[in-house]
Amino acid sequence: MILFLFLSFVAVVAAIFAAPLRAKAWVSLVLTGTGAAAASAKAVEVLATGRTALLWSFDTPLFGHNSGSMDGLSALLVLIIAIGSVAATLYSRGYLAHHLTTKSPAHVALHYTSLTLMSLAMLAVVCSDGGCSFLFFWELMTIASFLLILFDAERPEVRRAALAYLIMMHVGFVLLIVGFARLGAVCGSASFAALPAYFAQRPVLPLFVVFLAGFGMKAGLFPLHVWLPEAHPAAPSHVSALMSGVMIKTGIYGILRVTAAIPAAQMHTIGYILLGLGAVTGLWGVILAAAQNDVKRLLAYSSIENIGVILLGTGIAVLGKASGNPTVAICGIAGALLHTLNHSFFKSLLFFGAGNILSQTRTTSLDALGGLGRHLPITGLLFLVGTAAICALPPLNGFVSELFIYSGILTGIAERSHTLVAAGALTALALIGGIAVLAFTKLYSTVFLGSPRTHVVAEAEEVDSLRIAAMALPLAGILAVGLFPQYALQIVARAADFFTDAPAETYGLSTVCVAVCRTAWLLVAVIAALAWVRYRLLRQREVRQAPTWGCGFTAPNVRMQYTGESFAEGLQSIARPLTDDSCEGSPVGRNEIIPGAHNYDVRHRDRIGSLFSAWWVETLRVLNGRVMRLRTGKINHYVLFALAFLALIFVLSVFDLL
Amino acid sequence: MKLLDILLILLVAAAIPGVINRTRARLAGRKGIRFLQHLYDVRLLLRKGAVYSTTTSPLFRAVPSVYLGAALVAVLFIPVGDLPPVLAFDGDLIAFAYTLALGRTALILGAMDTGSPFEGMGASREALYGALAEPALMLVLGTLALLTGCTSFAEIFAAGNETCHSIVFLLSAFVLLKLVFTESGRVPVDDPRTHLELTMIHEVMCLDYCGVDMAFIKVAGWCKTAALSLLAADAVAATICPRWWLTAPLAVVLTGCSVGIVESTQARNKLVRNTTFILTIAALAALVFFTGYLLQLNIALS
Repeated sequence: MILFLFLSFVAVVAAIFAAPLRAKAWVSLVLTGTGAAAASAKAVEVLATGRTALLWSFDTPLFGHNSGSMDGLSALLVLIIAIGSVAATLYSRGYLAHHLTTKSPAHVALHYTSLTLMSLAMLAVVCSDGGCSFLFFWELMTIASFLLILFDAERPEVRRAALAYLIMMHVGFVLLIVGFARLGAVCGSASFAALPAYFAQRPVLPLFVVFLAGFGMKAGLFPLHVWLPEAHPAAPSHVSALMSGVMIKTGIYGILRVTAAIPAAQMHTIGYILLGLGAVTGLWGVILAAAQNDVKRLLAYSSIENIGVILLGTGIAVLGKASGNPTVAICGIAGALLHTLNHSFFKSLLFFGAGNILSQTRTTSLDALGGLGRHLPITGLLFLVGTAAICALPPLNGFVSELFIYSGILTGIAERSHTLVAAGALTALALIGGIAVLAFTKLYSTVFLGSPRTHVVAEAEEVDSLRIAAMALPLAGILAVGLFPQYALQIVARAADFFTDAPAETYGLSTVCVAVCRTAWLLVAVIAALAWVRYRLLRQREVRQAPTWGCGFTAPNVRMQYTGESFAEGLQSIARPLTDDSCEGSPVGRNEIIPGAHNYDVRHRDRIGSLFSAWWVETLRVLNGRVMRLRTGKINHYVLFALAFLALIFVLSVFDLL
Repeated sequence: MKLLDILLILLVAAAIPGVINRTRARLAGRKGIRFLQHLYDVRLLLRKGAVYSTTTSPLFRAVPSVYLGAALVAVLFIPVGDLPPVLAFDGDLIAFAYTLALGRTALILGAMDTGSPFEGMGASREALYGALAEPALMLVLGTLALLTGCTSFAEIFAAGNETCHSIVFLLSAFVLLKLVFTESGRVPVDDPRTHLELTMIHEVMCLDYCGVDMAFIKVAGWCKTAALSLLAADAVAATICPRWWLTAPLAVVLTGCSVGIVESTQARNKLVRNTTFILTIAALAALVFFTGYLLQLNIALS
C-alpha cells in the first residue's frame, strides 16, 4: 500500500513535469478526473446501498494498523471534493493561460502537481478511518495548498499570507496529533471508531476541545479564522475556489466525526458549544463580509459565515439528539450537510466569477469596478445566480438547506425543547440571512451594475468558453438542488446515517421537500408568466432610452455612484466595534460649505485579526530569540544536546514520569 | 376554498390603500379621492410605454416581474381566517419570509443598476432595514410556533383559539403591524408621498421605473402589505373567532386606519432614528417571545 502510494505520487509528479507546457493542465485534469471518477463511483454505490465500503486495510511496522473506509458521510464529502476539484482544474486551464509565458515551466508544473495532489489528498482524507493515514493525507493536503497559494510568490503579500497559512495550519496539525495520540494511548487505536470508547471512560470536554480547535483551524472557526481572508485574495482564483468551497469542509468533516461520537450525557454541553460558536462565527463572518471592499476578501468572509451556519445546524442537531427529539436532530444535521454541499457549489461559482473579474480587469477592488454586467454578460448572469443562492433566496439551493436548519429550530421551539437557546439561534440565523443579502447585493451591484468606474473595466471582454464550462458545473448543482430538493434530501439523509439512527424520510422532511419543489417551480412559473405579460404589453408601445433621472441635477457622473463603502455605511456605523478602521486622507469637514478636493480611503480590518497577529508575532519573536541562543553552530554542542536529551529521558523514566 | 382565499387576499390588497387614503383625507378634513383611485392609476400605468435609462442592463427590466412574482407567491402562504392557504407545509413561515426577501433583493439590484446616487441611497437603506427587520419577523413567527406547537401558518391560526394565550397573540399582532409600517415604507420609517431629500428609501428605488414596470411594483407593494396585515389580523382573530369574514375586513381596517392615523398625526423619523425604530421592534418581538415562553412554562408547571 505504501509502495502503491509512493509509486502513484511519483507517477503524478513525473506525468505533469514531463508533459508539454500547454498540456500540463489537461494531464492534471485527467489525473484528477480519474481519481474523482473512481471515488465518485464508489460514493454513489455507498449512497445507493447504504453500506459502508472498506477501501484499504493493512498493518505498518511503525504506525500500527491503518484502514480506510467510506460511509455515507465520507461519500457525500467525496462527491463535494470530486465536483469541486474537477471544476477548479478545468477552470485553471483558462485562468493560467496568460501565466504560461511569464512563469517557468517548472513553476507551472509544480502548481499543477500540487493541484492534483491536493484533490487526491482531500479524497483520501475523508476516506481515512483516522490515525496516521488521516494525519498523513491531512498534512499532504496542507502542504499542497500552501504551494498553491504561493503561485504568485513574487508579491510580498502572497508570501506573507502563505506563511501565515502554513503556520496556523501546523498549529492546528499539532493539536490533531495531540488528539489522535491521546486517543491511541488510551484506546490502543487512533481511529475515529475508537472515539466512543474513549469518551465513555474519560472526560469528554478536553479531547473534544483539542479536536475542535484542530479541525476548526482548517474550517475557519471564529477566533481561528484569521488566515482565510488573507489566503484567499493571495491565491489564484481556482485555488481560492478549491480551498474555500472544498478544503475547509474537511475541517467540518472532522468536527462532525468527533461530534457523532459524543455520549448522550454530554451532548447538551457540546450542543451549546457548537451552537454558540456557529452563531458567533456566522455573525462575525457576515458583518465583516459586508464591510470589505475587495471581491475575494468579501467572499472569504462569507465562507466564514457559511461555516457558522453549518455549525449552527450541527449544534441544533446535537441538542435535538440530546433531548431525544429525532425530528430536530434530523432537520439540523440534514440542513448542515446540505449546506456543506450547497456552499461548495455557490462558493466555487463565485470564486470563479471573481477570477474572471480579476483576469479581465486586473483588479478585485470594488471601488474600481462597476458596470461589468454589460461587458461580461455570461459571467454576470452566473454570478447573479451564485449571489441569489448564497443569500438563501428561493428557488435556489441555499434556501433549501437554510429551510432545513430553520425547520429544526422552529420544531425545537414548537416542541418546547431548549426554547430560549433555539430562539437565540433563530435570531442569529435571521440576522445572518438579512446581512448576507446586504453584503451580496453590495458585491453584485458595485461590480456588475451601474457604470464602469475606470477605463480598464469599460474595455473588459468576456472570458473563454472553457472557464464558462467550469462554472457551469457548480451552476448545475445549484439548480438541481434548488429545483429538485427531494433528490438532494435522499443523498443527505443517507449521509446523516452516521449521526441518527432513523432515516430522514420518516420525519416529514421529504414531504417538505416536495412542497418546496412545488413552490420553487411555481415561483419560476409566476415570474416567467409576468415577464411574458410585460413583454406583450410593451411590444406595441413606444420604448425609449434616456439618461438616468437625476432628480433635476444635470451633471451627474460615474464618480457619484454609490460605492461599496457607502452602500454598507449604515451597517458599518452599527458594527464599528468589530473592526479596526484605517483611514488615509481626510474626509470632508463639517465646516466646509463648499468642499474642495479630498482623497479619502477607509479600510475595515478584522479586530480579531490584528489582535492575534500582534500577540503572536511578539511572543514568537521573543521565544525565537531565546531558542536561537542554543544554535551555536558547533558540532560538539549539538552532541552535548543529544546527550542531555537522553539523560533527561533516563531521569524521567527512573522517576516513572513517562 | 383556496380560490376564495386568493380572491380575498387580492381584495384586501386592493382595499388597504383606499382605506389609508380615505382615513388620511377625513382626518385632514378633506373629502378625499375616489376609493378605487389607486386602481385607476395602475390601469393608467399599464397603458403606458416605457423609458429606460441608458445605464441599465437587462437585469433592470427583469426586476419588476421578479418583485411582483415573489410578492404573489408570498401571498399564497397566507391563510385568511379558517380558509387554508394554497401553499402549506411545515416550515412555510420561513418560505414566506425568504420569498419576500427575494423580492427585496431584486428591487435593490434594480435600483443599483441605474447608477444613480439617489437610488443607491434608497437601496442601501432598504438593505439595512430589511436585514434588521428579519430577526423581528422570525421571532414573531417563532412565538406563534411556540404557543401552538405548529410550524405552518394554517395550523398555527387553526390552533390559535385552543391555546389560552390571547394576550401573546395580540402582542404578536401588534409587532406584525409595526412590521407592516417598515416593510411597506410608511411613516414613521419612510414617506410614500415623496421620494425627495432625506426620505429616500422605497419610493426613490423605483425612480427610473415607469409604465408597466411601475404598475407591477405598486401591485407588489400592496400584496406585501396585505400579506403582513392579514397575518396580524389572523393573530387577532385567532383569539376571538378565526373566520374569514372577520379576518379579511379586520386586516383592511387594522392596517388602513392605523397607517392613516399615524401618517396624519406623526412626522417621519429622522433617518438615524430608523435603525433604532426597527431594532425596537426586534426587541419588542424578543420580549413577546419571552412572555410567551414564561406563560407556556407556567402552564406546563401547573
